[in-house]
Amino acid sequence: MDFVEFLINRGDDMLELGLEHAAVVGASVLLATIIGVGLGVASYRQPRSREAILAVTGAFLTIPSFALFILLIGPLGLGFLPVVVALTLYGLLPIVRNTITGLREVDPAIVEAALGMGMSRGQVLRQIELPLAWPVIITGVRVTTLVLLGIAAIGSIVLGPGYGDLIFTGLARVGTPVAVNLVLAGTLGVVVLAVLFDVLFYVIRKLTTSEGIR
Amino acid sequence: MTPSNSSPAGTPGTGKVMIRLENLSKRFPGQKTDAVSNLSLDIYEGEIVVLVGPSGCGKTTTMKMINRIVEPTSGRIILDGDDVTTTDPDALRRRIGYVIQQVGLFPHQTIGENVATVPKLLGWDKARVAARVDELLTMVNMAPETFRDRYPKQLSGGQRQRVGVARALGANPDVMLMDEPFGAIDPITRDRLQNEFLRLQREVRKTIVFVTHDIDEALKMGDRIAILQGPSQIAQYDTPEQILTAPASDFVSDFIGRGASLKRLDLSHVSDITLTQWPTVRVGADNAELLDVLRRSDKGAVLVLDDAGRPRRWVAPDDLDRHPGSPLDQIGLVPEAVVEPHATLSDALNELITARFSVSIVVDAHGVYQGVVDIDQITDAIRSMRAAAVARARARFTEDPAGTPVIGS
Repeated sequence: MDFVEFLINRGDDMLELGLEHAAVVGASVLLATIIGVGLGVASYRQPRSREAILAVTGAFLTIPSFALFILLIGPLGLGFLPVVVALTLYGLLPIVRNTITGLREVDPAIVEAALGMGMSRGQVLRQIELPLAWPVIITGVRVTTLVLLGIAAIGSIVLGPGYGDLIFTGLARVGTPVAVNLVLAGTLGVVVLAVLFDVLFYVIRKLTTSEGIR
Repeated sequence: MTPSNSSPAGTPGTGKVMIRLENLSKRFPGQKTDAVSNLSLDIYEGEIVVLVGPSGCGKTTTMKMINRIVEPTSGRIILDGDDVTTTDPDALRRRIGYVIQQVGLFPHQTIGENVATVPKLLGWDKARVAARVDELLTMVNMAPETFRDRYPKQLSGGQRQRVGVARALGANPDVMLMDEPFGAIDPITRDRLQNEFLRLQREVRKTIVFVTHDIDEALKMGDRIAILQGPSQIAQYDTPEQILTAPASDFVSDFIGRGASLKRLDLSHVSDITLTQWPTVRVGADNAELLDVLRRSDKGAVLVLDDAGRPRRWVAPDDLDRHPGSPLDQIGLVPEAVVEPHATLSDALNELITARFSVSIVVDAHGVYQGVVDIDQITDAIRSMRAAAVARARARFTEDPAGTPVIGS
């Protein structure tokens, strides 16, 4: 069967799987951003906790995704939940690291001027440091998103949503003509989603970064 | 230092102590010695006090303890009668303007937002903040409609420093701290900013603590100068005149360096000396009148003034011959060496050295001719300042004829 024809026939499937895939990745990225930026903000001024947090979030990335998904079946069962938890863990490192880097790169003279005018530490963080670190932080979120789009496909092993379904079905039918089309379709879906997310982040970054630091 | 209730004559202060530092010390964590040790200093209301000294003398640390960017290890800070050593530091800092060498403008905010920082922190309403921003930008010679919505990256170094000053004046603080504010700016712009700032200070009369390592800047900016010798020692705390004429120690003399006479020219202003008059005619005068004025003087040219009394041209008899019948304001040379009365004698000297007839023309704020300064007046000024210094140095002999003269003190 011709691949294009295959895609047209499976058009509804492709769209539905795409929405599921985007939803699970989107939810994980959101969680990873909230936790990651929080950890970064909490630790960027203390060298010891900074190093510890980077080491732990880095260690998550070394766990083989296959293994992690299966290990999470015990406590979390099958489906959406274990996938979101695993993806959130995988997504922390780029966000934490970029948050710490971005905050530490803020010119100390700017912070001193802000404190010298009577801003509290919290005000300096919210009004000065985070806005200045924002372009670096959102770059970390973007990297996380791209990494998670790929890993999310493996989530199908625990019956997670998304394009992994096509890929694993193809795997089960290796040797049949449809197998290659299934795997190709799943891969193409992930790539298209990656491009769409990238455009989204470009727009968000443009809209949320002050003209003064562009 | 014993607190005194009046500041010496010749300084602009009211005599009220605005900032009192009492036995202030700072030791940074992990250091074996104090960065500042047991320092006491009274700073009078309305004065610019310059902390100056070699690097490592603790001048910046001392200044930063006043708004507690650096928390003192021991000692007390009294601001306008209140002990602020342990009060809420944020509230304290909102009462004190702060300007640093790197300026530290917030790059993601517009110039207007930067200047509005402290008024916003104090919770002023929008209209009041906007009005204050425009007022402050105007005060530092930045047209609000041009600059209000620009970002710091679109400004030159000098413009940024002006905005830094405007931002520090935000909520009209009584006290300003300035840490080498003009240190990173090219010499020509620095000179202009210094003059602008002194003019601004004549209007706003803030109590200013100004840190620099440059003795010339200190002499120019300071109503009073504290020369810091090391962590625990103020070598001299006095007016610029006194420091130049009566340095308290060899350290101070060395720090002032050579050319104290020339430096004194920075402290005297054109308005302090009696101007010489130069033969002048109005622009409508005829040749006979001009030649008559010239004949009765001993000069080689006449200064032509326009109807408002502003200098327009130097005209010599040769110019009349070369351009018969031309109006007087179109022949001869354009006067270039022109200074205002608040210019220093050093400015006037600079101008007259390259000027056509070896004089600087003095005009008032409206450009109206007042007189001229020539080299003789400058040398007279140096001579009288030196005579005064010698008289002061020899004062001991007249006060105490029996006393043994001691070299040094």
